[in-house]
Parts: sequence; structure tokens; C-alpha cells
Amino acid sequence: MSAPHCLLALAACVAAFAALGLAMDRHYADAYGRGSEPSPGQRRSLRLAGVGGLLLSLWACLAGAGNAHGWVLWFGIMTLSAQAVTLLLSYAPRRARHALQGLGLLAVASAAWAVLSA
Amino acid sequence: MKGGFRQSMAWLHTWSGLLVGWVLFMVFASGTSSYFREEISFWMKPELHRTPAQPAAQQAQAVEQAVRLLEREGAGSPRWTIGLPDERDPSLRVSWLPSKPPAGGGARPRPLTVNLDPATGERLADTRATRGGDFLYRLHFDLHYMPAMWARWIIGFCAMFMLVAIVSGVVTHRRIFSDFFTFRPRKGPRSWLDAHNATAVLALPFHLMITYTGLVTLMFMYMPWGAQAVYKGDEKAFTAEAFPNARANVPQKAAGRPTPLVPIAPLLEQSRAHWQGSAATRVVVTLPGDANAAVTIYRDDSANLSANYASMVFDGTTGRLIETRGENIPPASETRGVFVGLHMAHFAGPLLRGLFFLSGLAGCLMVATGLLMWAVKERPKYAKALARGGRIGFGLRLVDGLNIGAIAGVPLAMAAYFWANRLIPVGIAGRPDREIAAFFTVWGLAALAGIVWPSRRMWQVQLTVGGMLFALVPLLNPLTGGSGLFTAAASGHWNLVGFDTVCLLLGACLLTSAWWLARRQATARGAGTQAPRRAAASTAPAAAPLQSEPALVPARHALGAAESASP
Repeated sequence: MSAPHCLLALAACVAAFAALGLAMDRHYADAYGRGSEPSPGQRRSLRLAGVGGLLLSLWACLAGAGNAHGWVLWFGIMTLSAQAVTLLLSYAPRRARHALQGLGLLAVASAAWAVLSA
Repeated sequence: MKGGFRQSMAWLHTWSGLLVGWVLFMVFASGTSSYFREEISFWMKPELHRTPAQPAAQQAQAVEQAVRLLEREGAGSPRWTIGLPDERDPSLRVSWLPSKPPAGGGARPRPLTVNLDPATGERLADTRATRGGDFLYRLHFDLHYMPAMWARWIIGFCAMFMLVAIVSGVVTHRRIFSDFFTFRPRKGPRSWLDAHNATAVLALPFHLMITYTGLVTLMFMYMPWGAQAVYKGDEKAFTAEAFPNARANVPQKAAGRPTPLVPIAPLLEQSRAHWQGSAATRVVVTLPGDANAAVTIYRDDSANLSANYASMVFDGTTGRLIETRGENIPPASETRGVFVGLHMAHFAGPLLRGLFFLSGLAGCLMVATGLLMWAVKERPKYAKALARGGRIGFGLRLVDGLNIGAIAGVPLAMAAYFWANRLIPVGIAGRPDREIAAFFTVWGLAALAGIVWPSRRMWQVQLTVGGMLFALVPLLNPLTGGSGLFTAAASGHWNLVGFDTVCLLLGACLLTSAWWLARRQATARGAGTQAPRRAAASTAPAAAPLQSEPALVPARHALGAAESASP
């Protein structure tokens, strides 16, 4: 598994779960202050970003590790990422949006790297 | 058991989990460590730590060296096994069965093993006698001090309960998606429930896979009737079709005519060409030096998901190819092979292996939090009795004790096993058994102490001692002849670096939980609340769960209760 695929699989997966988490009322309120709620459009785009990130991560796993290993790897990475996001949303919810932005950028950059180095 | 479907599933989840939880914790812990079985074995033989980290010779050269030693030392042996050097173990492992069974003929003879330098054929420093990671691997499904068959039935029984607990747990947990990322720290029983849910749900694919495939590995033992009905007792035909990589069907009886063995290196070359460049991993020679000799070469299929490995069998005197095996595996057998392969994860590279290990740790935490939660839910029932100066019930006391013995005792015993490996003198008789005895002595003492004094203090003591033992492993290693972290990193022995680092981290986690317990106790004292709270809080790390929240009416199940509490 090449470095860009690996980086992409991890970054996209963590970012995706962070986005899915922020699309939920409880975590959104934790991250943006009590009482705040995502607008319907915001919620939709967060969910869309989440689904897209998970698919991107799956693509990176399959492209980097082959079909058989790729699926196993994807499930393992999802478990790791979801646990990381759970800790993030519990202990540092206000950092969640920065993590989402940073990892999103990292995912885009490593996607470009993976495509260009192919 | 009353109420609706979900209530009955909650009941089932509670009791199927609790009854076998302590065994499951040990099974999860030893199984998780077995992902690094070879690394553990290597660490436990510090004599090998100074050998090169990369294979020093081609396979052809290595196999010649092995045969030279075997002709000298293993003459007359019924079977030689040559483990070729690879990335995970760069030494050449040569073993042979003793030529005559020991007097009395009771126990099966154990093969003798030596490690060689693949380039020169020199014996690497004699390694200490140890079972290494193999002990933890066997413990995972064979237990110890009892016939393996009994153990496998016990483990299978527990694994079936585990499967029931997982499925009923998913049914019971109504808020899987809305609580997906939820962990609310410092909220008493709620926090335990959140931790249990997070470790269970987020690693659910792993838990389901590992429990199911674990049962599949031994399915012909647990449910032999299908095979019996179809093959009508013809076990040989069944084995040949179901296990393509079982031992080759080669002559087992010597012809009695000494005939020189064919050179093996050309056969290796032939097999590599036949497998389109795939390397071999192991060579087995049966009846070497006899007219009935045979050479079986196994392909290195370690990157395949399936646990079915291909092999080629050659005549040992002429070098004629007798058969190729495991190349067209029937679908049913391949399905089983993939299930077994997924369970053992031989195919996994470093990243994937690490993820399996982390998921295994999540499994340990899931079982541990589940066990602790039972005690947390049960304790408030005795609040009144404790306030009157009474005692908690027998059941709760027993669960508290067993929880200490399993959750704090198993890591403690594992650390003790590693320490025993370095502290028991080399060359002493029955050394491997002494290491194992150290494991069980420490575990037994921990469990006994836990059952006799199931107190918060006992948790602290055992977690602290276990944490210290683990955290000091990186110091113990170089002080007792191994390569320390920096030496190992400089010489490229990343398996040793990994072992020491993981031990350090595990130790840090155990010490953190001991520290956390002490802090909780201090706050409980500092709060100076009513006596019953304090008295009850002193019996488990469950911490002060005793604000009697209306939502946590003890008679109700954890999950149902939490649901009714949430808006």
C-alpha cells in the first residue's frame, strides 16, 4: 500500500466521520455552543461530505491494497477513525471543525498525490 | 424474562455476556496478542536479537545449509522440517522428529529445533527453551493443564455465547446510530454504558467476524454430522477434500532400503517456476535417506486472504513431481479457508495487523466494560443494606472478585510471563513449563486475592503492579541480554521496537487507570457525602455511580434504562 493511498484512506475516513458527527444535533451543539443547530443546508452538506469521504476512503483502500485486502483494511480504518472521532467529539468538541477542515484538505491533497503518482 | 422482545433480548444479552465474560476476556486478550505471535517469540529469545534483521542468503543456499545439518544430526528421523527465512523471521529454522519415540511411547515426541544462519549454516546462539508466543496462541483455544479437546469445547461454548451476546446486544441497543459517536465522561453508569457501546459498535464488524470465524475454525469438531453423513466415515476422503493443505498423502512407512536424498535446491527452483515466481515458505522431507522419501514444498501464501496453502510433492529419491496440491480448491473449502484466514490474519501486513490488534483491544475493553457494568447496575440494590452497616450480596461480591481476577489479573499474568522469560535461569530443566507456571501462579494469586478482597484498593494494587511490569519491559529487555529500543531500531529489528513500545503503552494505560481510580476515590472522599455512597463506592472501579438517578432503577437493564432516560 503506497503512502498517498494510506494517507488518503485515513484522512478521508476521519474527516468523513467528523462531518457525520457534526451533522448530529448533540455534537453540533457541543462544537458550536449550546443551543446552536445546523441549518438544513449545512446538515445536508455535512452528510454529503461524510458519505463522500467514506467512499473516497474505500476507493483508496481498494486501489492501494487490492480488492480482497482493501475491504478488510477499510473496515479496520473505519473502526479506528470512528473511535478517534468519538474521543474528539467527547473531549475536544470545539476542535472538531478544525480537524474536519484540516483533514479534509489533507485528504484532497493526498487524493491528488495518489492520482498523480499512479 | 418478561416484557417485550427488546426486554427479553436485554435479559439475554446481560446473562449470556456475564456468564462467560471472564473466559472471553482471557480469550480476547490472548488472541489479540497472538496477532504478534512471531514477534513475541522472537522477543522471548534474546539470543537472536543480534542476528541480522534481513535474510542473509537466497533460499537455495539456505536449504543446502539446512540439509547439511539435518544429515548430520537428524539421520534416521522420520520427518525434517525446514522453515525458510522470510521478512518476519530472517533465520533458517530447522527441526526434526527424534528417530525413536521415547520409552513408554506415551507422549508424542516433540520435534527438536535449531536456528541457523541461512548464509553460513552456523548455528545461531543456542536459544533459551521457551514456548514464546505459541503459549499465548494455544491458550487462546486450547487453554492449559487440560486435554485440548475439553478446552476447545469450553472455548466453543463461550464463543457461541459471545455470538448470542453480540446479536442480542445489537437488538437491545436501540440508538446505534444516534449514539454512534457518543461518550459522556464523568457521568457514572452512563459513562460505562457509553464506553461499552463505543467499543462494541465501532468495532462491530471485527467482533462479529472474529466470533463467527472463530467458531468456523473448529466447526468440524463442533458439528461433525454433515461430513459424517456425506462421507460415511471415510475420514481420509473427507480430509483430502476439505483441507487441501493438510499433510500430503505420502508414504509414512520406511521401505528399509537406504537411498540418498535428491538435492532440494533444484526442486525449489522448479516449484518457483511452476508457481510463476512465488517463493516457498517451508520444506518438509518425510523418511529422508529411505527409498520411500518424499519432499513437500509449501508455497508462501501469506499474502492470501485464504488459509489454504498450495504445495508440491516430489519423490525424494528421483525428484519426480508426484502431485501439486491446493491450486484448484473447491468453493466450499475456499470459503472456509477465507473465514479461517480472516480469523488468523496471516495475510495482514504491518498496518492491517496493527488495526486487527487495536480492534482486538477494543474487544477486550468491550468485555471488560460489560462485566463492570453488571456490577455497577447491581450495586445500588445494596445501598440501604450498606447504610445499615450490612454487606453486599454474594453474587455481586463474586462478580467483583472475578472481575478483578480477569480484567486486572490477565494483563498482570501476561507481563509476569514476559518477566519470567528473562528471569528464569537459562538451561534449567523444564524451563518452558516454568515460564508457563509463572503465568498461572501470578494469575491464580491475582484471582484469589481479588475474590477474597474485592475492593477498590485491590484494583489499584493489581493495575499498578501490572502497569509497572509492562512499562518496565523496555528496561528489562536490554538488561537481560536483549536489544534495547535504540539498538534494535539502529539494526532494523522493528519487531523488537514494536514489542517494547506496545508494552510501554499498555503499561501506561494500566497505570493511568490505577491513577484514575485513586483520583475518583479522592473526590469521593473530598465530597464527604453520605456514608452509604462512600462505602459502596469502595468496592469497584465503577467509581461513584451511586447518585440514584431515577433513570437507573437497578432492576431494569442498563440499555432499557438509558433509553428511558434520554429525551
